[in-house]
Amino acid sequence: MKNARLYIPPAFRIISDNIARRGNPLGLKESDCSSWADGLQLPTKGETILYTGCEYQMTAYIRSLVEVLQRVKFKDSLFSAFTGIQAVTGKLGLDLMKVYSRVTGGESETYNRILRMAALILRKLDIDFAYLERELYSGALLYEYGLFEELEEQAKRVVKQFKEAGVTKIIALTPHSAEAFQQVYPKFIDDFNIDAVPYVSVVADALKKLGTKLSLPEPLTVTLHDPCHLARSLKVTEAPRQVLQTINNLELREVALNRELTGCCGAPCETIFPELSELVAAKRIEELEATGAEAVITLCPYCYANLKRSLDETGKKLRVVDLIEIVYQALEASNARA
Amino acid sequence: MPEPKQIFEKYYDELLRSAHSDKMALGLSRSVNAFRAGRAKALERFPHTVELAEEVRRLKEDCIGRLDELVQKATAVLQENGAQVHYAETAADALKLIGEIVGSGKVIVSGKTLTGEEIELRHHLESLGNEYWETDCAQLLLQLREEKPMHYVYPSLHITREEVAEILTDLLGREIPPDIPTEIRTIREFLRGKYFKADIGISGCNVMGADTGTIFLLESEGNIRMSTTVPPVHIALIGIEKIVPTLHDAFNVAEVVWRYAGFTIPLYISLISGPSGTADIECTLIHGSSGPLELHVVFLDNGRSTLSKDPVLKEALRCIKCGACLFECPVFELAAGYYGGRGYFGGLGAILTAYMGEGFDIAAPIAYTCLRCGRCTEVCPQSIDLSKLMPELRHRIVNMAKR
Repeated sequence: MKNARLYIPPAFRIISDNIARRGNPLGLKESDCSSWADGLQLPTKGETILYTGCEYQMTAYIRSLVEVLQRVKFKDSLFSAFTGIQAVTGKLGLDLMKVYSRVTGGESETYNRILRMAALILRKLDIDFAYLERELYSGALLYEYGLFEELEEQAKRVVKQFKEAGVTKIIALTPHSAEAFQQVYPKFIDDFNIDAVPYVSVVADALKKLGTKLSLPEPLTVTLHDPCHLARSLKVTEAPRQVLQTINNLELREVALNRELTGCCGAPCETIFPELSELVAAKRIEELEATGAEAVITLCPYCYANLKRSLDETGKKLRVVDLIEIVYQALEASNARA
Repeated sequence: MPEPKQIFEKYYDELLRSAHSDKMALGLSRSVNAFRAGRAKALERFPHTVELAEEVRRLKEDCIGRLDELVQKATAVLQENGAQVHYAETAADALKLIGEIVGSGKVIVSGKTLTGEEIELRHHLESLGNEYWETDCAQLLLQLREEKPMHYVYPSLHITREEVAEILTDLLGREIPPDIPTEIRTIREFLRGKYFKADIGISGCNVMGADTGTIFLLESEGNIRMSTTVPPVHIALIGIEKIVPTLHDAFNVAEVVWRYAGFTIPLYISLISGPSGTADIECTLIHGSSGPLELHVVFLDNGRSTLSKDPVLKEALRCIKCGACLFECPVFELAAGYYGGRGYFGGLGAILTAYMGEGFDIAAPIAYTCLRCGRCTEVCPQSIDLSKLMPELRHRIVNMAKR
């Protein structure tokens, strides 16, 4: 090879370190990942699980970490971090808990609320599922970053946890985890045979079976932002549309670049190129705004956060709503009337 | 040697500067919209191209495992056709070889060659004391602005007509209005003076058929025709991944290239298999007739063989440089070719830059930029699955860094 001295973004080291040590990319505490389920009395053992992968939970904290990464002066030679025993963050004198303490309860509550709704929707739709209290992150980011050895280790830990809990089917809440289980794990784990289904597909099927129309309390025009990995890697483009079709009082206006031609929200490069990430988001928002819809529906926490931040910063009227919020609202409103 | 971190920061600065430039945004949005409409129209009129692309995909896949064999076959045929064939293992070898053919104090006219960009051919030949003119409109504008190309097929897609007027006004010392037809006419007049003065014509190659040794050159300007026909010596620099087994195969590849590049048909397709020759006197073939007296074919490896042996990343060599992917890339839409290396752009460009271009240190930040959103694959005639290749490239990068 022509060169061997290469720049590795600090995010690679910090995130892989957090995953190995704390089970999730941001190094959040176990309670930060699981508190959303408090009081829901979800079963903690069962063949089918709702898998959150701690992804919605960590969304509120990503920006704080990115801001710190931008401020800290990193030396080039952090290579040893891959093999060192001491945490990278420790080496850098970074106290992640302190970094995250600036995130307000309201910000993390936004995402915990969506998680609770996701679980309650499944319950309302009579789908049996459990939730693993000490859930581990899938490792999807390690695959993205090319940290295959680290991914393999994480995947083994995840699979061990699934096996011990007797899991045979995963309802994957995020497109990233669905992709990881469907397409990445089989490359790294021999005989990986756990079925992973995207959450939206499960809901779409259940609503179809239910056969009744739901309705929103107030009329709403929406556009749909297909997540890249859902639409292209997993080829799921119709399930979210089927879900929306079951809801009265809701008008879908398709954005010009939709389905398999959907545009990226900019989130993937946020930890390495935060300004670029914002520019990509702004461009996508221009496209979404052109539909004239009141709200843009997302199905991925990273899309949600990146588009929302861009909208908040520019003070635009368009708002971001997770499909889960819409379905929950429609189910609630429809139950109330029944 | 700059530190890895400096390379990263310089790259990101340039990327952001271009992404924040209003002029570039205007040039890019005009180009992206015009391109999408053009490609849609071309594919609609010639719908068989989609199936043909699939056939070409299988063909190229097969060729990647046969690079040596195809080079040998093409070399033998070209020699038989009267060409002088050279083989360069590295960029440095190619520059030395071509430098020796050209010498110094010559006038050179060149068609657009990405492989030339890869090895910085113009820079090298100028440093030997030659006068070098890019004859492709876009490449000439970039030469005058001292900038790198931004795209394989449309290298100056980020430059607006208003900026072109400024460049030409500076060049000629008279006012040129920002009117596209006037600008093109002005460039034409400027370049026509160069061809007949030139000692050497340089070209790349879009695809080559090994069984006849035929170089395919696709263009619409006529500048490649002029550059490869008028000067007495023609040098063609050809990456070895451009060779396919037969003339017929080459035609298939060429059609897919131009269609996905947004053309129903390029206005000129040149097929060159040797130096000019005639058998008009006693049916005895003599080389050096009205066209060039000499044709030098320089086959370039420069990392291609290494890449062809990588079990996963070799897929990148299927790329036929139509550039359709770039028009669908969210980062390219903001920063054009600043998301890329010297001659290879976008996420796939990171792989080509690593193996064939400036190397892994320059390629690393480009590789980190890819969003892995996968929209490029949707329009790629070769179905190159960048979302799958990018983690693999990053894996090679982090492993090198860990060592």
